[in-house]
Amino acid sequence: MDVMVRVPSSLKKWFEGRDEVLCQGETVGECIGSLVGSFPGLKHRLQDGEGGINSDVLVFLNGENIQGLKEGMTPVRPGDVIGIIPFAAGG
Amino acid sequence: MIVDHPQSHFIFLYHPKVFSGEKYTVYEGKELTNGEMLEYWGKWIVLGKREWLDHVARELNPSVEEEKIPCIKYDRAPSVNLGVEECVMMVYCDKRERDDVWRILRQHEVMLKAWVSERETMEMWMPGGRLLERWIRSRNLDRAQADIAREDARSRLCYIFDHPDEVFVPWEQ
Repeated sequence: MDVMVRVPSSLKKWFEGRDEVLCQGETVGECIGSLVGSFPGLKHRLQDGEGGINSDVLVFLNGENIQGLKEGMTPVRPGDVIGIIPFAAGG
Repeated sequence: MIVDHPQSHFIFLYHPKVFSGEKYTVYEGKELTNGEMLEYWGKWIVLGKREWLDHVARELNPSVEEEKIPCIKYDRAPSVNLGVEECVMMVYCDKRERDDVWRILRQHEVMLKAWVSERETMEMWMPGGRLLERWIRSRNLDRAQADIAREDARSRLCYIFDHPDEVFVPWEQ
């Protein structure tokens, strides 16, 4: 299913100047993988060496930090919104 | 009211009651304990250019004055040493009231929804935590200075965890 991803202005350069993009997947991890497939330069920014989510970013599902959910295994539903920010912005 | 002291990295929005000794870490009229703060306190994260955050702050100030939002702080300049290229605004509130606060933020064009609990933030600033260690590296502290910084963080933050029943006292920034 399609899920919206939103990023702050400083990360728009990762998505060809857009602050909203669509991705596909049944989980947050699959959605991130879909983004990496659409924007190949993102792989090292969004994923770690094992295909997990890079710890340099904080990922939110509908505002909730996925570290407090099921991380990359967190299921997504139609209408959900994923947010991505630099991890240091959370401090 | 907007508190903008040029010597501070942060610009704050408080209710004036704070200056007569009242706390903003309150839920239903009762001051939060350390344990309640760790369970419920947190913030919505808003990123943007300084000019836009100044605008958002002015727009949100009435909500702070009306005590719909307990406290806001935002960067005077981006914390590039920590790897953040934009200024960050933190809109603090109790998790049990965060939906109400989010609705206010949405009225002011905040789109990206990101909630970070104070517990998560404190864990990042504990010795060995990712933010504290990045901050130490960014300051080029030598080993002794780094150990002092870690001990300072440990003593301040561990106290919160070790005394859950005491009333939480927001730290000076």
